[in-house]
Amino acid sequence: MSRKPQNKLTPLSEDPKWEDVIPIPQEEGSAHPLASIAYAENYSEAMDYLRAVMATNEMSERVLELTERVIRMNPAHYTVWLYRARTLFTLNHDLYAEIAWLNPTALRHQKNYQIWHHRQTLINALDSADGEIPFLTQMFEKDSKNYHVWSYRQWLVKRFDLWDAGEIESVEELLKKDVRNNSAWNHRWFVVFGRPDTDAFKDEEIVKREIEFAKSQIRLAPQNQSPWSYLRGIIRQASLPLSSLREFAEEFAVFGKMDQVRSSHALALVADIYAEEPNGTAKATLALDMLAIRYDPIRVNYWEYKKKQLPPSSPVAAGT
Amino acid sequence: MSKPTPAESCSPPSQPAQALPDELHLLVEQHVQYVRSLDTRKDEYEYWLTEHLRLNGLYWGLTAVHLLGQPDALPRREVIDFVFSCVHENGGFGAAPGHDTHMLYTVSAVQIIATLDAFDELEERVDGGRKTVGKFIASLQERDTGTFAGDEWGETDTRFLYGALNALSLLHLLHLVDMDKAVEHIQACENFDGGYGTGPGAESHAGQVFTCLAALSIAGRLDLVDRDRLGGWLSDRQLPNGGLNGRPEKKEDVCYSWWVGSSLAMIDRLHWIDSNKLAKFILQSQDPDRGGITDRPGDMVDVYHTVFGLAGLSLIKHPGLMEVDPV
Ligand SMILES: [Zn+2]
Repeated sequence: MSRKPQNKLTPLSEDPKWEDVIPIPQEEGSAHPLASIAYAENYSEAMDYLRAVMATNEMSERVLELTERVIRMNPAHYTVWLYRARTLFTLNHDLYAEIAWLNPTALRHQKNYQIWHHRQTLINALDSADGEIPFLTQMFEKDSKNYHVWSYRQWLVKRFDLWDAGEIESVEELLKKDVRNNSAWNHRWFVVFGRPDTDAFKDEEIVKREIEFAKSQIRLAPQNQSPWSYLRGIIRQASLPLSSLREFAEEFAVFGKMDQVRSSHALALVADIYAEEPNGTAKATLALDMLAIRYDPIRVNYWEYKKKQLPPSSPVAAGT
Repeated sequence: MSKPTPAESCSPPSQPAQALPDELHLLVEQHVQYVRSLDTRKDEYEYWLTEHLRLNGLYWGLTAVHLLGQPDALPRREVIDFVFSCVHENGGFGAAPGHDTHMLYTVSAVQIIATLDAFDELEERVDGGRKTVGKFIASLQERDTGTFAGDEWGETDTRFLYGALNALSLLHLLHLVDMDKAVEHIQACENFDGGYGTGPGAESHAGQVFTCLAALSIAGRLDLVDRDRLGGWLSDRQLPNGGLNGRPEKKEDVCYSWWVGSSLAMIDRLHWIDSNKLAKFILQSQDPDRGGITDRPGDMVDVYHTVFGLAGLSLIKHPGLMEVDPV
C-alpha cells in the first residue's frame, strides 16, 4: 500500500481552520494509540474530528474536506459517505464537481459499493445521465463483471430511458472482448426483454434475432454456459418447442457420436429434447449417462436424478 | 445468516497463509483462537478500518464459535454491551457506536440477541424493546414494490428483504410487513437462468439466490420455486477443484460453500454437488498457524470466510461441528 500522500497530510490539530473544534476520541479503545505509523494516526485523528462535527451537525466546506480525507483512507466507511451527501445537498454544492472527484475514487476502489450509491444519489438529483455511460465503459475496462457497476447501469437505463441509447451495442463490444462475460449476457436480456410495457417475446423478429445471436456466440465457445442459458430462456419465455433447437444442439453433441461431444450444455439440451420425443427415453438415458460418467461427472447425482424423471421406455426402445 | 456485499467481504490478501500438510482435518482449536483474537487486535490499524463492519463481524465470530461447539469462547456480557452500544433511538443499529443505522447491522444485532437469548436485555435496554426494533425494520419496506431499503437513503436489495424477514421472524413480528408484496418482489427477481439477483433484472448471484430462497422459506412459499432448474444452476457452480463460485465463469470462493450449499439444502438438492470435494477445498483453505479460513487456498484469512467455511462444512455434516439451519 502506498502511504506517501497520507503521510504528508497536515494534522488537523495544527490546521487553524479546525482550531475551534475539540475532537471527540473513540470511547472504546481510546487509550490505544493505534499502530504508531503516521497513516493510522491521521486516520484516528480525522475520525475524532468527524465525530465532533457530526455531534454538532456541522455542514460546511471544511466538512467536505474532512470527509474526503476519511474516504481517501477508508472508502468503505458508509456513515461518512452519507454525512458527505447530506452536507453536499445542504450547501447546494456543485454536484458536477463532486462527480469529477468521484470518478478517480471509483476507479481506484473497484470493490467499493458506497461510491455507487453516492453516485446514484447525485445523478438522480442532477437529473442528467450525461457522461455516465462513457465513465462506466472506463470502469468495465478494469473489471467487466463488477456487480455494483452493472446494478448502477441498470438503474441508469431505467431512470433515464436509455433502452435504445446504445446498450445492445455496448454489450456486443464487451462480448467481443470476453464472450464468457455472464454480466454482459444478463444486461442484454435486461435491455431486450426487461423493458417495461413491452413484450419482446411476442415480437417474432426480436426473438429470432436473439436466438441467432446466442447461437453465433455459442459457436465461438461451445462450453460457455451463459449463451446456453440465454437460448433456453428465450425458448421457454416465448413458448417455443425445445425441439426447435435440436439441429443446432446436435452440431455439438449428437446421438451416435457420444464420444465426440463438444459441449456438456449441448449434451444436456439434446437429452432434454430426446426425452420429449416418442421413444426417446433410451437416447436420453445414454446422453445423461455420458454426462454423469464422462462430461460432467462432478454432478453425477444431478444427472441420475434427471434420468429418473424420464418417461418410462416404450417396449421397443427398452428391447423387451 | 446475513451477509455483507460479496465484494466487500472478499478483500484481497495481504499475508498469505502457510502451505498445508497433505492430511486434512478441521483445526477446531486454531479457529476458536482466531475468533477470540479478533477483538484483541485494537492496536492494529486494520481493526479500525473495518469498524463499519463490526457488528456483522461480531455475529460471524459468535456463529463460528457456536458451530465449533464452544459458544462461551466470546464473553456474553461484553458482546451484549457492545450490541446495545450500537442502537439508535429509532430502533435501528449501526455497525459500531457513532455509525448510522442500517438494515444489515440491525439484523446482525437481532441475530446476536437471538443467539445469546438476550431478549430480556433487549426489553431492559432499548426503549420499547423488540417492538421498537421491529418497527424500524418494517419501516424500511417499500410499500409499492414490497422490497426493503437498507436505510433512509433508499438503496434496495434482496439482501435487505431477507434480513428483514429473518430478524422479524426472530422477534415474532412478521405481521408488521406486507408479506404478499415481498413474495411478489422476489418472484420478480427470478432470472432467465433460474437464479435470482439483487433486484428485478439484476444478474443471478449465488448470494442473492440464498437471500431469495431463505425469504421464501420464511414466508412459507418455497412452492414458487422451480427446484430442478434452480438446482441445476446452483450445482453448476461447483468447479473441478471442489470449490463453488457465485456466478458463471467466476473464481471459486469458500463463502459460496454456504450460499450455494444452503440454497441447495433449502430445495432438497444438496446431494447434487460433490460434498467430499467441497470439504477438501474448504479444509485446504484453513490457515494452520493463525487459525481461520480464507476465500481460497493461499490467501489471507478473515472472519467472514471463516464462518461461512465452517457453516458450509456443517451443512455437509463434516464431523466436529454443530448442525446448522440452512435459513
Ligand atoms: Zn468470498
